[in-house]
Amino acid sequence: MIRETRVMLEHAADAAQKTLAGYRKHGGYQALAKALREMKPEDVTEEVLKSGLRGRGGAGFPTGRKWKFVPKTNKKKYIAVNADESEPGTCKDRQIMENDPHQLVEGTLLAAYAIGAGTAYIYVRGEYPHSIRALEDALDEAREAGLVGKDIMGSGFSCDVWVHPGAGAYICGEETALLTSLEGNRGYPRLRPPFPAVEGLWKSPTVVNNVETLACVTHIIRRGASWFSSLGCEGSTGTRLFCISGHVKNPGVYELECGKFTLRELLMDLGGGTPSGRAIKGVLPGGSSMPVFVAADLDVRFDLDSVAKAGSSLGSGAIMVFDESVSAVDVALNISEFYSHESCGQCTPCREGSDWVRLMLDSVRRQEATRSDVGLLLDVLDRIEGNTICALAEAFCWPVRSFVKKFGSEFEAHLKERATA
Amino acid sequence: MADFSPELVKKVKDLWKRYPEKKAALLPAMHLIQQERGGWFSAETIRDTADLFEVPDIHVQGIVGFYDMFHSEPVGRHVVRLCKTLSCKLRGADELRAHIRDAYGVDHGQTTADGAFTFRCFECLGHCTTAPMMLVDEERHENLTVERVDRVLRALR
Amino acid sequence: MSQGTVNVTIDGKQVAVPAGLNLIEAARYAGKSVPHYCYHPRLTVAGNCRICLVEIQGQAKLEIACNRRVAEGMSYFTENERVKKAREGVMELLLINHPLDCTICDQAGECKLQEYAVDHGSGITRYAFEKVKKPKNISWGDRVVFDAERCILCTRCVRFLDEVAGTNEVGVDLRGEKCTLVVKGDGNLTSPYQMNIIDLCPVGALTSRDFRFKSRVWFMNFTDTICTSCARGCNVTVGSRGDRVLRMVPRANAEVNDHWMCDYGRLHYAFANDEQRLAAPRVAGKGAPYPAAIQRAKAILEGARGDGILAVASAFMTNEELLALKQLLDLLGVEERFFLKPMGEGDDKLVHPEKCPNARGAALLGFAEAPAAWPEKEYGALLYVAPHEGADLPEELRKRAKRRIVFSLKEREADVCFPLTTWIEKDGTVVSAGDRLQRLTKGISFEPTLVTERAVLDRLHQAFDGSHRPPDTAAQAFARLADATPALAGVTWQKIGPLGMKLRMAGATA
Repeated sequence: MIRETRVMLEHAADAAQKTLAGYRKHGGYQALAKALREMKPEDVTEEVLKSGLRGRGGAGFPTGRKWKFVPKTNKKKYIAVNADESEPGTCKDRQIMENDPHQLVEGTLLAAYAIGAGTAYIYVRGEYPHSIRALEDALDEAREAGLVGKDIMGSGFSCDVWVHPGAGAYICGEETALLTSLEGNRGYPRLRPPFPAVEGLWKSPTVVNNVETLACVTHIIRRGASWFSSLGCEGSTGTRLFCISGHVKNPGVYELECGKFTLRELLMDLGGGTPSGRAIKGVLPGGSSMPVFVAADLDVRFDLDSVAKAGSSLGSGAIMVFDESVSAVDVALNISEFYSHESCGQCTPCREGSDWVRLMLDSVRRQEATRSDVGLLLDVLDRIEGNTICALAEAFCWPVRSFVKKFGSEFEAHLKERATA
Repeated sequence: MADFSPELVKKVKDLWKRYPEKKAALLPAMHLIQQERGGWFSAETIRDTADLFEVPDIHVQGIVGFYDMFHSEPVGRHVVRLCKTLSCKLRGADELRAHIRDAYGVDHGQTTADGAFTFRCFECLGHCTTAPMMLVDEERHENLTVERVDRVLRALR
Repeated sequence: MSQGTVNVTIDGKQVAVPAGLNLIEAARYAGKSVPHYCYHPRLTVAGNCRICLVEIQGQAKLEIACNRRVAEGMSYFTENERVKKAREGVMELLLINHPLDCTICDQAGECKLQEYAVDHGSGITRYAFEKVKKPKNISWGDRVVFDAERCILCTRCVRFLDEVAGTNEVGVDLRGEKCTLVVKGDGNLTSPYQMNIIDLCPVGALTSRDFRFKSRVWFMNFTDTICTSCARGCNVTVGSRGDRVLRMVPRANAEVNDHWMCDYGRLHYAFANDEQRLAAPRVAGKGAPYPAAIQRAKAILEGARGDGILAVASAFMTNEELLALKQLLDLLGVEERFFLKPMGEGDDKLVHPEKCPNARGAALLGFAEAPAAWPEKEYGALLYVAPHEGADLPEELRKRAKRRIVFSLKEREADVCFPLTTWIEKDGTVVSAGDRLQRLTKGISFEPTLVTERAVLDRLHQAFDGSHRPPDTAAQAFARLADATPALAGVTWQKIGPLGMKLRMAGATA
């Protein structure tokens, strides 16, 4: 029986947790006090590094290492919190922001202290008005209490934290697009180098971190790296938030330790299996930007490295399940519609290719595609992937390719040759 | 050029204090401006915004055209955003869309004849575990069924 | 390795290139041409077209060549299989929504989409769906025409108007495949340099209203010369067909105009095509052959020696023409020799307040700027060379002389009228702003029988002095000029070259 290990969501059900008083009652801002009074900024970074914390936005990059990319300079530095949460299937950051916003504020301040930033912006997607309100209320309280702003807790460390709403563009979850959008522009990803740690907001060093990542930082500093790395497993330390959705009896956001169960166990146990009782047809284990798993793949141990070895990724922690009642072609088409709609349009392969892919999948759905059309689809994916400014290309090439490969017989059954036979 | 309300101008000035460049306050400010100007950005509103921020009007226009939450055409009294992405699709969003088309006569991008609401299919709204869901302005409605949808939409008239 | 060079290997070939170059520029040193749309040496890097992808040794992903600089020991490939496949892919993706407009598109024959499709494309289309429809034939004012379907969103025009022209008047609207360009304000461009975006546009999305549907470029002749609308002397290429000028476009010269020219200069050529121009000399109001006109002019000048001759040259004349006039005037002992210098507004970019190309040359050859008021006397003869435009014979000059010999485009009633040849109808040199000696090159003859001013003046000189030997070629004409002018000592027609050369002149002018 899989049990949750609630750390970040431990007090999410407590209505008072949103308030400063309620947060403090459960140990809130102790980590910040400890860091400001007993630790040097480098110590905070070392602790996060030691904990093995990997980014929770989707890429899984070690957080401590990312912070170390910031050059030692007197230039103004920034923290940008990526609260754009738009990866299909993902609704976990919202749980923290709505129910325990101070946890994020504290983590943000810790990150700012570690890298020497004096201002942090929390870029919240515009479609999350509840998160925006909860964060703004929490920040009002925190400012009032001297926990945000000048000379925090009398330590000499100052940091402003502001909520900055997006306005409906998935691409703004891409870290350089987020920065460009924050500066007051269309959300265009940037060419790299330079990387944000060196040149980010207004050409200043900037660290972009996901909401859940920073929530983890709060707990790491409060309870120590050793405690954090004792949870989970090697390569996936700590706890992670997973959103299970789609054809499951018990959709929901669960906080779990990786490496203690397989994906199948997770879906059958906590997930409760499919509501229809039909077999699971496919699972997107980490959002829609990663390759799909079929039923035969589900016995993979559920942690970052194992899932990567099995050909996909934990990604943003969004697990979407579909059963035999739905066509894999329809699922692939729905996914490609998303990326075609969200492409920023800057570069040729994604701008033109994302919609071509959608049209080709639609043609398969309508049983108007031939076998060579499907071959063409795979070839076009090869022409797009790796040749763009940002990873949105990979985000649709990987899943679409995996659908064609893993559901070959279903695509075969849709072929025009079959329809007219 | 029309003026913005003094309250809005004050809010914008406060926003400007948060950033080293005024331009960065555009997205938060434009949410407030859209609300004040009937829920959409007319050419005049775009010009007024550009003047306030001292940027070319095409800069503001490019932002309206880029972000899904800004409207370049008039909208109804409410904006209904029904999620169409995978988790919601798997739990019946397509059928809800068809129902809305049949019962209220609107498909994606259209406004009901009585001006009660503009209906838009939106991509993932981040409520995947309580799918299907829709936003009506800033209110969310989760675990939708045809009955729930009707209850909400009828109340908008 | 000398200071400032870097050793790199390009397609297996070792080559030393100047440090700081990007991989597109460096590849030229190995004789390789890396295709590119959005990259332009004078604009910031956008990196959005993706056609310049190359493979850098040791890097897993292909990299855009425009956004990388050479490093010592770097090795990269511009035409291996992987790069070719990527390019072919980008080419195909560019073409899937591109309209099949070639048959009516002015860009045909000088279109980078056509060229790269031939060089790097697969030769077939695999796209079987409807192309995205966007607005076409949109006027962005009366000079530039925009076609949104043809646009590949390279943003060269956006960046030019932001970074060089400083008007920030074009931007991108909408998202993804729907992206399109929009113009500030009322939709009309305002920059006096807006037409440079037509040159910059690698495809037919931005075209010239003036040139629209005039001619296919492969039927045209192209002549490298100088714009003569002001003293800047922007380097240009004149496109002509059938002895008529069809268009002017800038030619790159880092010392003068970079890659640009102003719209006024670009469009200012119609006078050369004016069918009302003189096609032959005239004497006493009637057409006459050159020999007769020259004889009559000689007679007038001889007869006027007693009452004085007034010579007013034009700052549109080449140095060689001015020298021929000078030598004639020296022979006749004419001391009152002036030139008109039309003035106007300049700007902080290319437009010069002197609205003529060779005021410096005229001064160098001993002509004085025209006084505010002409002396109150009646001369026996006026020898007048008109500027390209304006009055062919100003009234206050006409009434100052008993007899008038006029070189102009359209004056028909003076005692002797010689047809003026325009800047595109002769070889010669001018001294542009910054004391730069630049060459004009002959591209057309409005009428095959027209004779340049220099040739007429030389023949007139010969009529007085039979031993006078006029030069036959441009090089000889320049050599004669250089011999007679200390500031040009040691310079030859060849040496000046297509980009001109700076002169070291006492009292150097702006």
